[in-house]
Amino acid sequence: MSAAQIRFATLWRREVNRFMKIKKQTLGAPLLETFLYISVFGAALGSRIKELHGIEYIVFVIPGLIMMSFAINAFANNSSSILQQKFQGAIQDQLSSPASPMELLLAFSFGGFMRGLIVAGLTFIAASLLVDLPVDHILVLVPSLFLVGFFFSQLGVLTGVRAEQFDDVAFVQTFVLTPLIFLGGVFYSATLLPQPFETLTHFNPIYYMINLIRYGFVGFHEVNIALSLLALTAATGALFALNLRLFSQGYRLRD
Amino acid sequence: MPEAALKIEDLVKRYPTGVEALRGVSLQIEQGELFGLLGPNGAGKSTLIHCTTGLAQPTGGSIHVFGHDATGDYGEARQAVGLAPQEPNLDWFLTVAETLDYHAGYFGMPKRERRQRTQELLETFSLTEKRDERTRTLSGGMKRRLILARAMMHRPRLLILDEPTAGVDVELRLELWHYVQRINQEGTSILLTTHYLEEAEQLCDRIAFINEGQIVGRGTSSELAARFEVDSLEDAYLALVGRKELSRSHAEVAAP
Repeated sequence: MSAAQIRFATLWRREVNRFMKIKKQTLGAPLLETFLYISVFGAALGSRIKELHGIEYIVFVIPGLIMMSFAINAFANNSSSILQQKFQGAIQDQLSSPASPMELLLAFSFGGFMRGLIVAGLTFIAASLLVDLPVDHILVLVPSLFLVGFFFSQLGVLTGVRAEQFDDVAFVQTFVLTPLIFLGGVFYSATLLPQPFETLTHFNPIYYMINLIRYGFVGFHEVNIALSLLALTAATGALFALNLRLFSQGYRLRD
Repeated sequence: MPEAALKIEDLVKRYPTGVEALRGVSLQIEQGELFGLLGPNGAGKSTLIHCTTGLAQPTGGSIHVFGHDATGDYGEARQAVGLAPQEPNLDWFLTVAETLDYHAGYFGMPKRERRQRTQELLETFSLTEKRDERTRTLSGGMKRRLILARAMMHRPRLLILDEPTAGVDVELRLELWHYVQRINQEGTSILLTTHYLEEAEQLCDRIAFINEGQIVGRGTSSELAARFEVDSLEDAYLALVGRKELSRSHAEVAAP
């Protein structure tokens, strides 16, 4: 391995090692949360609702839960890892190394992406054992899941870099992301909502992400898939470009 | 003439708040030199170090480390520098051995070499027994030793020590002095900031005084004393900060 490869591998190994050291909190808790959702919405509500748009209710919900766990874990990991290292000053060790802004950004993004992927992957495996979960459009599902994971990794990095206290990170997660995800149609179909809520849902970007993932699994969608995929790619690219610019400028990282 | 280990020219650092921490600082540290930078709190010592190591971005001027521009050619410049900062900035999640291993990894050192070097420095700094302990469990003195070991991990040619002996006991201070002298004799150039004038006098070949973001005097300890027309480095320092009345030689003369 070249020096640059060793450097990059170490930078991302550090990020993965961080969440692996506190597995109960970073992997255990989100897995438990997802299974509680499956129990409540699948077993309890599912027995009453039975089907949505001809799809068994629990099967309708699981793709949204997989997307949600990927997104929230990718975000939470990166935002708290960066803020914590800024707080301790430990981030200076990486910042004073020869690593380029691109290497630093990719490494900080990678931790959350991996954590989201692990939680989403385990949720998928467990759900497949419990119910008959189809994968109808794998060519849409895989890129969509990866884009969603990368998008929220970038959002986590941005939030962590901007944050000055832990409250700043909690605010975005609790008051912005969680409501947008819940109101984006994880547990229901937007077409069932009364006006103006159905129309308002179309202004929620997460609604399109959930639709992409749900389409990938069960083939059901309420939006234009190609356009949504294009928009998600563009949004992810734009967020990455913004973060790269901030890292190059040293925004809130270097004095 | 070999490249200077560190060459700083007209360095200016202005914060967005308008505070000018460095106002045209120039200094040069030759290869193999042990150079002391002295000045009161807030004089600009740490800002100068941060600009050199990429933790702060200069507003103007230039910094070259062994001929490499610290902003344009930052990869090569930072590769040559090891920094032991003033505040212990250790990651609480990491063990002592991981702290050293990751640091060397950031500087591109292969695994086998990292393992050997970690072992070697843990022994040098009497940290072998603590290798698997998380850093937050270490005592203040051990944290200081670990920070110095970490700065040395990638074998820097220029070692920057920002007040390395602040708040440590006499035993550890002497231990650190011995180590600093030894690595300097082995060829590592060193920039040392300190508040302890005795430390600067004992260790440093040359000294510069910095005050309010400007270099106000430089030379050997006796040259500085001569320039300020006083007997010791301490009196030169007091003259610099405008507190001559605190001079101990002055007090002795005045005593009945």
